[in-house]
Amino acid sequence: MSYDTLKVCIIIPAYNEEKSIAQVISRIFRLHPEFTVVVIDDGSSDGTAAAAKAAGADVITLPQNLGIGGAVQTGYLYCARKGFDVAVQVDADGQHKPEELDKIINPIREGQADMVLGSRWVENTGYRSSRSRRAGMLILASLVSFFTRRHVTDPTSGFRAVGRKGIQLFAEDYSTDYPEVDSLVSLNSHGLRIIEVAVEMDQRQAGSSSISSVKSIYYMIKVTLSIMIRSVR
Amino acid sequence: MERVQVLSLCLSVALIVFVLHLIRRRALREQYALLWLFFGLVMLVLSIKTSWLEWMAEAVNVFYAPSLLFLVGIVLCFLLILHLTVVVSKLTERIIVLTQEIGLIRNELEKHGQEKNG
Ligand SMILES: Nc1nc2c(ncn2[C@@H]2O[C@H](COP(=O)(O)OP(=O)(O)OP(=O)(O)O)[C@@H](O)[C@H]2O)c(=O)[nH]1
Ligand SMILES: [Mg+2]
Repeated sequence: MSYDTLKVCIIIPAYNEEKSIAQVISRIFRLHPEFTVVVIDDGSSDGTAAAAKAAGADVITLPQNLGIGGAVQTGYLYCARKGFDVAVQVDADGQHKPEELDKIINPIREGQADMVLGSRWVENTGYRSSRSRRAGMLILASLVSFFTRRHVTDPTSGFRAVGRKGIQLFAEDYSTDYPEVDSLVSLNSHGLRIIEVAVEMDQRQAGSSSISSVKSIYYMIKVTLSIMIRSVR
Repeated sequence: MERVQVLSLCLSVALIVFVLHLIRRRALREQYALLWLFFGLVMLVLSIKTSWLEWMAEAVNVFYAPSLLFLVGIVLCFLLILHLTVVVSKLTERIIVLTQEIGLIRNELEKHGQEKNG
């Protein structure tokens, strides 16, 4: 298959993001009109689905909130069944810049990697966050680096692309609750090649973050346990 | 018969009757129904034949026979709860798969509808 006939699908998980979703979608289409954009509306109570449809995305509305993992996996199932070659995850809050899409897709197009992770920390980028968040990310990064024996700097990044093998794997098995970190370990243990590229990220554009401080401690413990289980399985 | 014996007898009969009632209303799946009936019967037998319990307690060197009953009861409760969390996990997994399928099917359906109408 030649370079530019690869079918690319953008997966956007969205939970109550009516304020930012339309802009994210139209920015993607402006740069890449040939891409398919599928929005997983995860039981939102606002106008997320309608806004996404109006912006030209294919919308999958889940009858109840599954959480980010279950929602994203629905996207991978969609890609696997429709035979997409590349699937890219992009957040609905406008943090991930469509201008950076080529950077994370190209290594897959060129066959250099099975998964590309858009990292905030490989080089200094504009993204800022609280000190405790950064500490948490650092701990997770060392954990993942240890278990995958690769240097990973930003395992919690939701800006990522996978090729066919990754799509297939994620469609079959994806952890439901806090999947970003977990899925890296899973891909690695199946022998897929993961690389990181530096990307610019913004702050979220509108709406509110799904991460609270109590949740993030719970998150850390759960992810750690889950990584350990994956690597001994 | 001692009072405590009468009490435990009543309780075990009540348990068995209640479980039978639940089975009749189909509120309990067979596998759990069997389990509870078995619990009920064991309790019933032990409250009639207190000598059996005493014999068992003696065999494992427990001086106060009813405490053996507590021990067994607590262990069984733990096992049952563990089993139930396994069941709940499996159910959750299934609900996730179903939710995803419903989303995907709805998406297909809508597309078909649009083709027909427009
Ligand atoms: N499907 C689904 N998506 C969700 C859920 N919660 C959050 N999301 C989406 O996941 C993406 C990231 O969520 P955020 O809350 O921005 O998390 P974050 O980017 O790690 O945190 P911030 O830096 O505070 O923005 C967004 O596209 C959200 O719409 C959910 O329950 N289900
Ligand atoms: Mg965000």
